Amino acid sequence: MSAAAVASSGTPRGERLYWALLVLPCVFLGLFYVVPVINVLVMSVTVPRLGLSNYADLVANPAVRRVLWTTVRIGVLTTAITLLLGYIVAYALVHTSARQRQTLLAIVVASFWISVLIRAFAWVAILQSAGLVNSALMGLGLIDSPLQLVRNEVGVMIGMVHYMLPYAILPLYANMSGIDRSLVPAARALGATPAQAFRWVFLPMSLPGLIGAGIIVLIFSLGFYITPAILGGGKTIMVAEYISVQISETLRWGLAAMLATTLLASVLLLVFWLSRFMDVEAALRK
Amino acid sequence: MQRFSFIHVLAWATACFLILPILVVIPISVTPERYLSLPTNSMSFGHYANLVGDARWSKSILDSLIVASGATVLSTALGTAFAVGAWRLGVPLARRLRLLMLAPIIVPPIVHAIAFYRAWAVVGLLDSYLGLVLIHAMKGLPFVVLTVAASLANLDHRLEQAARSLGATPGQAMRWVVLPQVATGVVSGAAFAFITSWDETIVALFVTSRRVVTLPRRIWEGLADNIDPAIAALGTLMVLITVAAVVINTLRTQRRTA
Amino acid sequence: MKDSLILAGIEKRYGDAVALQATDLEIKAGEFVTLLGPSGSGKTTILMSIAGFVPPSAGRILLDGQDVTGLPPERRNFGVVFQGYALFPHLTVNDNVGFPLRARGIRGADAQRKIDAVLDMAQLRAFARRLPRQLSGGQQQRVALARALVFEPELLLLDEPLSALDRALRKDFQAEFKAIHRQVGTTFIYVTHDQEEALTMSDRIVILDRGRILQSAPPSELYERPATEFVARFLGKSNFLRGRITRVADGMADLQCPALTSRVSVGRQDALAIGANAVAALRPEKVKLQRSEAPADGCSATGQVADITYLGSVIDVTLALADGTTLAATIPAGALALSEGETLVASWAPDAAILVEPDVERGA
Repeated sequence: MSAAAVASSGTPRGERLYWALLVLPCVFLGLFYVVPVINVLVMSVTVPRLGLSNYADLVANPAVRRVLWTTVRIGVLTTAITLLLGYIVAYALVHTSARQRQTLLAIVVASFWISVLIRAFAWVAILQSAGLVNSALMGLGLIDSPLQLVRNEVGVMIGMVHYMLPYAILPLYANMSGIDRSLVPAARALGATPAQAFRWVFLPMSLPGLIGAGIIVLIFSLGFYITPAILGGGKTIMVAEYISVQISETLRWGLAAMLATTLLASVLLLVFWLSRFMDVEAALRK
Repeated sequence: MQRFSFIHVLAWATACFLILPILVVIPISVTPERYLSLPTNSMSFGHYANLVGDARWSKSILDSLIVASGATVLSTALGTAFAVGAWRLGVPLARRLRLLMLAPIIVPPIVHAIAFYRAWAVVGLLDSYLGLVLIHAMKGLPFVVLTVAASLANLDHRLEQAARSLGATPGQAMRWVVLPQVATGVVSGAAFAFITSWDETIVALFVTSRRVVTLPRRIWEGLADNIDPAIAALGTLMVLITVAAVVINTLRTQRRTA
Repeated sequence: MKDSLILAGIEKRYGDAVALQATDLEIKAGEFVTLLGPSGSGKTTILMSIAGFVPPSAGRILLDGQDVTGLPPERRNFGVVFQGYALFPHLTVNDNVGFPLRARGIRGADAQRKIDAVLDMAQLRAFARRLPRQLSGGQQQRVALARALVFEPELLLLDEPLSALDRALRKDFQAEFKAIHRQVGTTFIYVTHDQEEALTMSDRIVILDRGRILQSAPPSELYERPATEFVARFLGKSNFLRGRITRVADGMADLQCPALTSRVSVGRQDALAIGANAVAALRPEKVKLQRSEAPADGCSATGQVADITYLGSVIDVTLALADGTTLAATIPAGALALSEGETLVASWAPDAAILVEPDVERGA
């Protein structure tokens, strides 16, 4: 028997079963998922006619430019606020008693699991003109007329930060838990002040987690639909809502497909960037 | 050694911000009024009664259960199969395919909405249970793959070899040895898949209209016209279930580590 | 012969990397054979090929004259004890041991009788209802062994089974494996990197290095008559005398080294040429030390005591020779009062030193 014959007949029988297990879900996803998504990319250069005319709108169409600018602005601001608050919570989680940590973590995880719609609903109830905040402030006599807290960027960002916080806190907490607890005391023993020990030791070591969490939050923020749509009330429009309007109201499929493609490309670019700082899979695991 | 410092005050303030919406939906749900308000003098469970009594709410609860169950079964089966296959073969190809499996988490939901709206129109799956089940199964798939792969990561390949050397066929080795080891991963993956489907709003808004009306779609419509406090009642129920699950899970891990 | 296992030219390559060069090996029924070598020597590759988990790139595996090369592991009927035991964590001891019977469709009282018998042999009856994680390392080892023996396999393959245990427990198990081997009469193929395990248990040791067999022989022969420098170094300690051959006659040769001249046994090296470079292995315990003159047969060297290590019953002495090399000797404690720096004469019997094949590729 030749060496080649042995090698080919040597593929263990059991492996065929596992190849089937591996390939079947891929075929399913390829057929029902990849094909429809690719179709969107194709539509962006074929509807209404072949060419890059839809992409010209990115620069030529002032409405599109405004929506993109709103999306980037809200996305970046949301990310910045989320990271700041998330870093504080994660830091406290690592530097607190086991009891407090459990309570804090339970709150974070519970808010993670509450339906995004219910949360948007609650924020409307809290922030609207006759809502909790305005009633309380007016009842206390601090303001005469209600503050405008929804149907604008303030409302959208409050809702988005609220939604994104657990996505930042959990990876940051995982990252900080991995930092050796004796390093900061070591820096102090070597003469650093608490602020110096934090700046020179703890902060640099938590930086990969910070960047990773930031990219995750930015990825989800850019494509966010529900919270901006409900709390923006049609006044503050981000790209996802704008796309939906193109499809359901103005029927401009080409423009919608182009914006979807642009959004997808930006997100994939961010994921690629993320993969340089952390394990993408670990970051996405809830 | 840890003082209750400024940082801790800020952290707890943020935590209050996180639970504020949860704390608000509960009182709203017992308001006696028909509009969004806090109960002042009296409480009423009328909005809870509406969830059961109002045919539109009960149909939506049923629709969501049907779609989420179907999607969970499908994504759990496919996701587990993929994770086990990738674990056992360990080939570089499997690693790359895994990134494909994660795409439904990363790709923005609005892109899914356009994609499936177009594709399902072509194959006639718009506004059908099957159409939504397929989509939600794909959206849940990555979570199953991630959780099952995580529980497989620590599984010794020699267990499968041991089963084979002791006379088990490949199928028996998988049923008797590999699957029991990843059972908890499969169950939590299934829970993720179920919740993913239960909460999914955007694609459902696009691909369904009259026949299939899942809960998120019903809530969305309720939010659009006049805000119905029944949403708060529903929200309260969902919050209670979530909190119970988180507390039970916390206590269980506490007991295991203790 | 019944149930003899023959490896005919089996070979394993991963791309360009050769894990195992074409290897022939015959193992007789009932034999206790140990595959001994450092990591990467190919010993586990051989074992896993026999078990059916690593398909060889070339060659055939024959059991009792039948080709089993392409047979899946579950149809080979070989028991395997894995490194780390690979006990099924979700099954009790009883169910772990019952697993092979379940796979063979043996159920009920029949199965339980076999399980009980093997649990008794392994002294595990009292632990039958426990899960693997509730057992000590030694008990887990017994379960793994019981599980691999309950279906009366034709061969038992053991892959470094003792590597996770502490030294005292390892010693106990060496005796136990030997006893069980005698009791069940099954062929044992045992993989280890521990020379002591190999020497104490085996009928025969196969020494491997970098994907090939260097020597295959009973322990005493392997120790007394190593074929290569690597074998001599891997099994026990050895001095290596390096020099030129000046005379060959009647299975003996004269080796001229810079600091000494010795008569040596030719051993397994044939076709020696006068003037060729050669290496002889000399076990330290065969070296005698004295203050008097060298014996007449010329197997001796003179040097200064450079180091003395007291080991209880024996003393290790290192002599520095005139050419800068050293010579190690192991002598009974109390035989000689020594002090560092003093000059001594080392001597050995002519057949104590044996020519070995040098490690050419390994370099210095």
